Amino acid sequence: MGAEAEKPAAGGGNVTLSFLVFETPNLDAAFWDAAIARASAKVPGVTIKKLVTPNVDRTGYAKQLDASGNLPDILQSVNPAGFAQAGKFAAFTADELKNFVAPTAGAVAGKIYQLPYNTQVIPVVYYNKTQFAEAGVTETPTTYQQLLDVSAKLKAKKITPFVVGGGGADTWADMYPLTGTVATDVYKKTPDWLTQRAAGSVKFADPAFTSAAQKISDLAKQGYIDPAGLSRSYADTEQAFRDGKGAMYPMGSWFATSADNKKPDFEIGAFPWPSDDGSLVVPTFTGGGTSVSSTAADVDLAKKWALAFDEDQQNNDAFVKADGSIPAIKGYKPPADMGPVYKATVEIYERGMAENAIVNAFSQETGDGSLPPGLADKTAVAVQDLITGKKPTSEFTAYLDDQWAKATQ
Amino acid sequence: MNDTRVPWLRPVVALFVGAVFFMPLYLVLVNVFKHGADIVPDPAGLPSPPTMDNIAAVLSRADNLFVYGLVNSVAVTAISITILTVLSAMLGHYIARSRHLLAKVVMVTLLCGLLIPSPVILAPITMVLRALGLMSTAPGLILVNLGYYVPFGVLLFMGFVKSVPLELEEAARLDGASTFRTFWQVVFPLLRPASASVLIFLGVWIWNDFLTPLIVLGPDSGTTVTVGVYRAIGEHQSDFGSVFAFMFLATLPILVFYLALQSSFVKGLTGGAIKG
Amino acid sequence: MTHTRHGVRGGDPPAAHRPPLPSGPTPLRDRPPRDRPPRGRRRVSGRITTFALFALPGLLAYLLFVLVPIGMTAYYSMTNRNPFNPPTKWVGLRNYAELLGDAEFLKALANTVVVTVIVMVLANVGGLLIAQLLDRPTRLYVALRGVFFTPVVLSSVVVSVIWQVVLTDDGLLNSALRGLGVEDPPGWLSDPGIALYTIAWVITWQMLGFCVVVYLAGLQGVPRELQEAAAIDGCGPLARFRNVTWPMLAPALTINTVMLLITGFKAYDQIQVITNGGPGTGTTTTMAFQVVQTSFNGNRVGYGSAMAAVMLVLVACVSVLVLRVLQRREVTR
Repeated sequence: MGAEAEKPAAGGGNVTLSFLVFETPNLDAAFWDAAIARASAKVPGVTIKKLVTPNVDRTGYAKQLDASGNLPDILQSVNPAGFAQAGKFAAFTADELKNFVAPTAGAVAGKIYQLPYNTQVIPVVYYNKTQFAEAGVTETPTTYQQLLDVSAKLKAKKITPFVVGGGGADTWADMYPLTGTVATDVYKKTPDWLTQRAAGSVKFADPAFTSAAQKISDLAKQGYIDPAGLSRSYADTEQAFRDGKGAMYPMGSWFATSADNKKPDFEIGAFPWPSDDGSLVVPTFTGGGTSVSSTAADVDLAKKWALAFDEDQQNNDAFVKADGSIPAIKGYKPPADMGPVYKATVEIYERGMAENAIVNAFSQETGDGSLPPGLADKTAVAVQDLITGKKPTSEFTAYLDDQWAKATQ
Repeated sequence: MNDTRVPWLRPVVALFVGAVFFMPLYLVLVNVFKHGADIVPDPAGLPSPPTMDNIAAVLSRADNLFVYGLVNSVAVTAISITILTVLSAMLGHYIARSRHLLAKVVMVTLLCGLLIPSPVILAPITMVLRALGLMSTAPGLILVNLGYYVPFGVLLFMGFVKSVPLELEEAARLDGASTFRTFWQVVFPLLRPASASVLIFLGVWIWNDFLTPLIVLGPDSGTTVTVGVYRAIGEHQSDFGSVFAFMFLATLPILVFYLALQSSFVKGLTGGAIKG
Repeated sequence: MTHTRHGVRGGDPPAAHRPPLPSGPTPLRDRPPRDRPPRGRRRVSGRITTFALFALPGLLAYLLFVLVPIGMTAYYSMTNRNPFNPPTKWVGLRNYAELLGDAEFLKALANTVVVTVIVMVLANVGGLLIAQLLDRPTRLYVALRGVFFTPVVLSSVVVSVIWQVVLTDDGLLNSALRGLGVEDPPGWLSDPGIALYTIAWVITWQMLGFCVVVYLAGLQGVPRELQEAAAIDGCGPLARFRNVTWPMLAPALTINTVMLLITGFKAYDQIQVITNGGPGTGTTTTMAFQVVQTSFNGNRVGYGSAMAAVMLVLVACVSVLVLRVLQRREVTR
């Protein structure tokens, strides 16, 4: 029977551990193989069997594998929600986490099940400098009203203000504007809003969240969001921005390296999603690292390998170069030759850290204070209703409250 | 339609309708042989110059996704449909000839199997496989195929068996042949069109099935070529050249298989029901 | 006839009194041994062997991999099974009660019905028309038949990818329309009012060739003499079709309709690849899609199993109904 080639680690293997990864245009097979080899070189006695998710939804695939009794031993960037509570993942000790900048990020009931190895700013508003100039925009917006003014100017010149995706199987790609507005309108005042929601003391229908959702609805009504995006897959959406089909592209910071590595024919700038009063709000997600299954053949060895994988300097350099991540490892500095868009993104992050303006990124959180399983997907689908105008904001928030109740029964 | 009055009308209309219908397939074909960079700006034009780069890229992938997938697909499909043809012919014959009420009950139960989409029972199927120790194995996948597709085969064969005169079988048995030999030497050869239909339909369905092999075989036992298509789409959505090349290469074997069997297959599908 | 004790003890009655041989089949006991079916234990073991050889393997595979999973699904449907939220408890019919009021499920059901009806009508009508168009023996038409049948042989994932490329808002169809001067072509996949019909079209496209082939076989089974006789009687082409051809196509209609019904009902791949149920909640969800989402993505296996059970019962009832109606037409030819 033909089978995928196994990747033996340097130093041979006494224990074979399966490792679930996912391939994207940024992170291809060669990338993973090299990263795996580096980690295996540091932890002898392990043979890694690389498994690849068939599409980008690695969490969904991990669930399918678990449902068929095949949960991989080590998993990369799989949301631990559900797995942790069901005891399927192994927890990392505080000592194991000593090299991480944010050792409590994404904790479930106070324990860490996914190494918080990198930070991503979600969203950053990347923009087409040429089109901004065409529309006579000279400064990037710092308040939300200025953002609306810029959009109006762009629209007047027949330039679509926002490129937003969400088509094909990539429904999640439509969430980024909402993540931005929730950060400015909800999380800035109430950083632990989702924890309060879990306790039932706030609801989606409350004014704070409603105002965040209403902003999206208004953007769509004014025609600032291109509804064609609802038919575009994630890759097509990025391509649309590169083809100049819209001036602003709210997207996670992983876009930065794609922008630098494959330059479009215009310069790209970046600014954070503006709040009403202009104060800085930087929504981030820290986590995204490796998890270990509690049923792995040798859990301690698997954990050692996972730590080696996430802490290795060269692996992190490779991740930074390929995927624009901001590694949250103590003492780590990204390579000096990163491109301008990445540098601009990191600058936003560092400003946020300095001004204490870091908040969570709505729908990206994991662990305590995150959405119940399946709800992020449902929210993404419901956002499509906001964009097409099929549902008014009140119905949208009511739907979210209703789905929350269903998911937590 | 009276052809003698406007003789060119029929072929023109037929060609036009056919061309419109074929357009999406034309798009795939024309872009498989086009340089990747030329696809997006000019998706409908003919490739100039034509290139085999996309196909070469698929065949020489570092993880050999296509080649391993092809081997797995051919093996699983060929074994499954061969066994299925044998099993459904025998079971169909048994039910058609049986006079018991039980046989009719069995037939109705089999019909239920036709109506279930496989995603719906996939999770319990994996539990059964695990209990048998066959999860993530090719034999496990083949057995799942057998169980799932046997109703269709039985239905097809049942219709056909009814058109084989009972006297033929009785005559053979009178001559001392066992039921088994009677079936294989007398009845089965007469069921050839039905066998062709079963082989084609089940071959196409099993070859194209992506969810079942994805879950049953799992990620580390190697995949089938259709799962490979799904993965290729996931990774390289904007690289149409390699996605289309993968789809093209993954379809070629089953297309050839169909073309080889197509003459007998229609007879099999309709012969039992439609009398000429 | 008299059988005295005398006669029985003494052997056969004298020839003159032997009753004449009956004119029917030779009674079992009078036949030579080889003609008799095995009696007693040999017969039973023969029947068991036949069963074991012919029926058992197929039935066993079916039992293990279809019936048992269906049974398990039925069982789970009455629990609140959630692999990430143990323990599993029996809840009786609560899931079913919840289904009745579940707007998402009902929308998925409605969507499935819409898609199935469209596919059944379009593919049937289209298949019939094209079959009539191609009903000539020359090579051109034989080649065209192959063209129409090719999509049937393709994987539905492949078909979905192809159509998604064609139908995105800046895809090939809209580019062509814009080239023809259409200013604002519809959002085939991004407009929630159209998306469901687009999906129905994709499924129809894939199944059209199947209907064409089946109708062609049916058309070729209509005797020319009947057609000519009707023409001589003064029937125009339409009347000929209605009175001669159409009734004889009844079996083809049955096969096509049932096949399309099952295909439409089971629709999953196309939705997953092209729209993922969107754009917007419940726009293009079908029942099979909803079941997979609930069980796998939402982890509510118990509830998802109840959905699956309802789906199965529905499609079984509809199929039986459709079959009954259509097969009645076949008999009264």
